[in-house]
Amino acid sequence: MARTASNTRNRLNRGDNAWAYAFIAVALCGYALFTAYPVINAFIISFQEYKPLGSTFNGLDNYADTFKSELFGKAIWNTVVYTLLTVPVALILSFAVAIMIMPLKKWAQTTFKAIYYLPAVASGVALSVVWLWIFDPLQGGILNQLISVFGIENQNWLGSSKTSMFSLVFMSWLSSHGTSIIIYVAALLGIDESYYEAADIDGASFWQKMWHIVIPCLKPTTLFLLVTGVIGSFQVFQNAYLMTGGGPDHSTTMVGLLIFDTAFKYFEFGAAAAQSLVLALIIGIIAFIQFKFLGKDVEY
Amino acid sequence: MKRKTKFASTVLALMLSVGALSACSGNGNNGNADPSNAPSSNPSASSEAPAAKDTITALLPPVSANYQANFEQMAADFNKLYPNLTLKIEPASWEDMTQKLDTQVNAGSPPDLAFINSESVAKYEPLGMLMDLKPHLTPEMVSDFDEVPLGYMARGDAQYGLPAYLAVHSIGGNKQFLEEAGVDWKKVQQEGWTYDEFREAIKSGVVKEGDTTKRYGFVFATSGVASKDYLGILVKGAGMPYPFTEDLKYAYTDQKYLTVLQAIRQIIDDGSMPKEASSIDAGKRWNMFLTGQTMITGKGLAGFENSAKLNNEKLKANDGSAVADSIPVDYVVLPMPSFAGEPAVSHAVVDGYVAFRGKKEPTAEHAANVAKAAYFLASGSVAATTNNEIALSHITESARKASEGMEVALDPDNQAASAVLLSQAPAMREIPSDLGSEAIKIENEVIIPKLQALLAGEITPEQMFEDVKKAAVDTFGADGVVQ
Repeated sequence: MARTASNTRNRLNRGDNAWAYAFIAVALCGYALFTAYPVINAFIISFQEYKPLGSTFNGLDNYADTFKSELFGKAIWNTVVYTLLTVPVALILSFAVAIMIMPLKKWAQTTFKAIYYLPAVASGVALSVVWLWIFDPLQGGILNQLISVFGIENQNWLGSSKTSMFSLVFMSWLSSHGTSIIIYVAALLGIDESYYEAADIDGASFWQKMWHIVIPCLKPTTLFLLVTGVIGSFQVFQNAYLMTGGGPDHSTTMVGLLIFDTAFKYFEFGAAAAQSLVLALIIGIIAFIQFKFLGKDVEY
Repeated sequence: MKRKTKFASTVLALMLSVGALSACSGNGNNGNADPSNAPSSNPSASSEAPAAKDTITALLPPVSANYQANFEQMAADFNKLYPNLTLKIEPASWEDMTQKLDTQVNAGSPPDLAFINSESVAKYEPLGMLMDLKPHLTPEMVSDFDEVPLGYMARGDAQYGLPAYLAVHSIGGNKQFLEEAGVDWKKVQQEGWTYDEFREAIKSGVVKEGDTTKRYGFVFATSGVASKDYLGILVKGAGMPYPFTEDLKYAYTDQKYLTVLQAIRQIIDDGSMPKEASSIDAGKRWNMFLTGQTMITGKGLAGFENSAKLNNEKLKANDGSAVADSIPVDYVVLPMPSFAGEPAVSHAVVDGYVAFRGKKEPTAEHAANVAKAAYFLASGSVAATTNNEIALSHITESARKASEGMEVALDPDNQAASAVLLSQAPAMREIPSDLGSEAIKIENEVIIPKLQALLAGEITPEQMFEDVKKAAVDTFGADGVVQ
């Protein structure tokens, strides 16, 4: 009797396992096809002079050219500057908004979360058109009209290297924090009420609670958002492509845009693949450093 | 039951994987005729034996307002002419055209025909993805075309495409404003003007109210890559019709190039052109022209007269779709100025139907069919209708014949001016593709970014000239550039 029951359990387990394998297989096929294969292919192409009718291997030439290229260095520098100016501010803004909407009623929280998430579902191209309108360089431009109130003459926001990077950063500051806000709100809801109660009994102020309870408890979330934010920022492409095209004088040429140009403007797919892999390595090193130094006392 | 569900789940998983795989596969258009038809080594065989069925694919942008709306009719007319052939047209916007085509070319599965600029031939030729139509064009087809535009689509002995039109990039003025500024525009149309004359004219066209400029003398679209057109058109009038001299030395290291760069800065410093020029795109400057914020605009094409007229009619009819705050404008075709005593040279643009091949070698039969489709699109009634719509001169006898009776409502002065500009178009200069590719790279990596900085007043003309010179010498060597 016991043996029969065990056999039935085994059969059921095998059945469940088959289902599990079948579903995993779909995701695995998708991953193999759309992620693993392109990465492996990019690695191979990075050692080739790519031609649709037959590529030729050229050793480490593409990597040598990448490291010798002044433009690649400038693009890396621009990307680092962009990342330093956008990611921390994005984290602070998201955290502040999450803190501000936490005390609100559920419906108000949901409304604000939806409002802040809206840019994430809107087309990037449509948003860029709006921003191009805001950054109109002539006196009628929205931002120029705004600064004219303070007696400042109209600025060529996207056309001058003095303001082009700032314009892209400004654009980033005011858009797409929805995901981070939702993640922060979820993390804030996960903090045990007893911590706050204990702090209240001790007479802790708002800032003391923030410093001693909220920030330490949100450290894993912050680390996650920091790492993904830096990765995303290093891969930034759309804003520079649509708003400035990398100009003027390469002042907003990010690595992502340079890789695109190398591949699709000059058809140097081998060089573009080498640049992509160097970028992946840089991102990997930065992520490793972040985990190593910031993730020491993070518990998941 | 359990076995059935296990089987079903496996089948579903496989189907999803296969679906994903098939999404990745190309359309397999390697220029082969229907596989059921044996390839013929003799292109004329089709006239003797029953012709094999074949499909020709074409990637076409909105060449004129109604061009894409006519695709169905075009395909039907082609099929009527060649019952065994199907013309499958994929529409693309101008913005998507290059990217779509580049992706398809590099994936090894381009369309058979794509409507592109003749200069792009240099970009695709080194990849070996272009198809030579020469062996498949009949003498009648070849003789139908004007020699100069046909030459723009040829390299060496190969004829990679057939031209649809030859357009001259000019500039356009507001007749009323030109007359107010004392510009004898009719004389300029016929005799051209030097840079000094042009500079004085656009200075006179500026209207100020206090410190605020109400009207500029000249606004050219120079935002981003559009700046390439501006410089490209200007340098032609400075004795540099091509980036390379006849003896294939890089030309933009010549002192005359510096003269043009200095002129670009002077015009802005004079206040004749906005200091924000580097952010003004094509749409913005046309809006500025129609709203009376500039006397002259660029770049211009003969067909712009029709756009201005259309807006005038809307204003007359109180139509709400007229450009906001616009005024009635009489568009005057004007030439670009010439520099340093050089003769006027127009910036000619030849666009047309370029033939591509896939990874597999196309059969002779398919190549002949592609040639037929290219000729069908580039000549006769298709070309006549399209070129009339965009007010461009015909470049085939068959189109001229087909356009008889079609209304062309262009101003006679503008027509005459366009004819003068056409006569100043330089003949095609063949540049080896390796040199051409390097020149394109210098243009994209050095010239355009530096020009944007020059327009924004961040570098001097001399600095830009030195940067271009350095890049050119690094690329072509000191002996490969004009000293």
